[in-house]
Amino acid sequence: MRRFLALSRSAALEALAEPLSAILFLAALLTVHLAPVFHYHQFGEAGRLARECGFSALLVFGLVFATAAAVRAVGGEIARGTAAAALARPVPRSLFFCAKVSGVAAAFALFLVATAAATVLATYSSEVGARLADAGEAADVRIWQPGLMMGVGLTMCAFIGAALLNRFARARFCFSACVLLSAAQPLALLAALPFGRAGIVATALEMQWPIVPALFVLACGCSVFIALAGALSVRLRPAPVAALVAGAVLLSFVWPVRALLPEIGRFWLVDRLAGGGTMPWGEAGAAISAAACLVAFWLVAGSMLLQRRELP
Amino acid sequence: MSAPVIEISGLRKTFRDFWFRPVAEAVNGIDLVVEKGDVFGLLGPNGSGKSTTIKMVLGLLAPTGGSVKIFGLPPRSRAARARLGYLPELSYLHPFLTARETVMYYAGLSDLDRRTAKARTAELIEQVGLAENANRPVGGFSKGMARRVAFASALVSRPELLILDEPTSGLDPIGTREVKELIRRLAADGLTILVTSHQLFDMQDVCSRVAILSHGKVVGSGRVEDIVAAAADKRHALEDYFVERLGIQ
Repeated sequence: MRRFLALSRSAALEALAEPLSAILFLAALLTVHLAPVFHYHQFGEAGRLARECGFSALLVFGLVFATAAAVRAVGGEIARGTAAAALARPVPRSLFFCAKVSGVAAAFALFLVATAAATVLATYSSEVGARLADAGEAADVRIWQPGLMMGVGLTMCAFIGAALLNRFARARFCFSACVLLSAAQPLALLAALPFGRAGIVATALEMQWPIVPALFVLACGCSVFIALAGALSVRLRPAPVAALVAGAVLLSFVWPVRALLPEIGRFWLVDRLAGGGTMPWGEAGAAISAAACLVAFWLVAGSMLLQRRELP
Repeated sequence: MSAPVIEISGLRKTFRDFWFRPVAEAVNGIDLVVEKGDVFGLLGPNGSGKSTTIKMVLGLLAPTGGSVKIFGLPPRSRAARARLGYLPELSYLHPFLTARETVMYYAGLSDLDRRTAKARTAELIEQVGLAENANRPVGGFSKGMARRVAFASALVSRPELLILDEPTSGLDPIGTREVKELIRRLAADGLTILVTSHQLFDMQDVCSRVAILSHGKVVGSGRVEDIVAAAADKRHALEDYFVERLGIQ
């Protein structure tokens, strides 16, 4: 267990310590928070644009972040020689592979937490803003100002906080930025509640919490691609892995090979939440089970590839 | 009598390309035995098969033929690898980890409990002279400092067998001297050491036995004491022996 933790911790740290990760975290969160600003296109429902932006941010930014991290954690370590140094210890190759992918999955979970909190807040801000504008209380801006301010403000504060930590405590900037950005999102959600017109509890109850499990289901679908990227990077260089994973994602939209890849449509439950829809728990459970099987398949495949891989 | 620490017989390695066509015969029938307490020098010019041999000993490369045993076990056995420490030719380190975190990482891989790992890390960081830079990311270290971190990482599990691939590469004369001192001290403590190097002068100082490799074959081997005793120029005995065995005029 200590070996597994040491390996997965280093993979998670490396995933979050990359400059690309901090950029993707920031880009995703600002996209979600600022989505309600574009209120002229709401897909016929206040809050829908913000909600779908959150899901898209997880799928696009999250997948790029996690795939790049998986390639670095497995293929990068093999290329750099750190895998050989680790595997010269009493570390089974299958443990090395599974721990590295788990570490990346842990970093991706942080991305999920941040995106989920930001999406809940942005969706609520959009809905309340539209309600206030329709009631004539806000003339031009169809956004609930406290939600937008808290979301964007705390996101920027997190980035500044990371810079200060780097300046005064020599903390790793990108790692701190990712962690603080993730912590800032639930904090923004909590900080916005006291400004709710219906009181803290009522405001909290009005929020669209089913977004969280629906995003979790999508994250499960994405995790299959993380394991796939890890398995491919045992044998291939980063560019072919990126091309193959991108191809696999596209394939899973248009022509899913269910035995190998997730059918993204099954994991995209955001449409079910439209118009006050409820979370389809049965479908979610089935999708999560399918993702678990596919992740297990790619973990076994990656482990077997690494068993036979020579480390010159 | 206990089994040799490393036993290599008829070891061969042929590298192949994508179509499985042979590209290079890196190791071509090596037989070696490293006994407990030996400081065994594997010497040879570039491309002679030293690093390939070491990687087969570590189980990182699969031999094409022949066999390797460490403590009487196959090299991929966890029990065997739990008893060895490895210093790679280049200091392969995670650039984002600090020196302390790097040694702790390898302590974790060696399954040391947290308290032991912390104590051992502090001791080794001090020993390799990196106490002042222990909390700096190793990505910003000089080659020599990175080498020290790698050395500490190799020693963290208190191995019985230490495999050093070019331990003095990239070190300044003071660093080289410190490494030689460390090897002598570890050997005096009873550690078995397998070391590769180009620095014949340094190897003469620290090794008890050597084998000269050329084109993947052992072209000469023996006790350093005997080589020095038989040489006319005692100071350059190993160098002269090396040149003679390689057939260089």
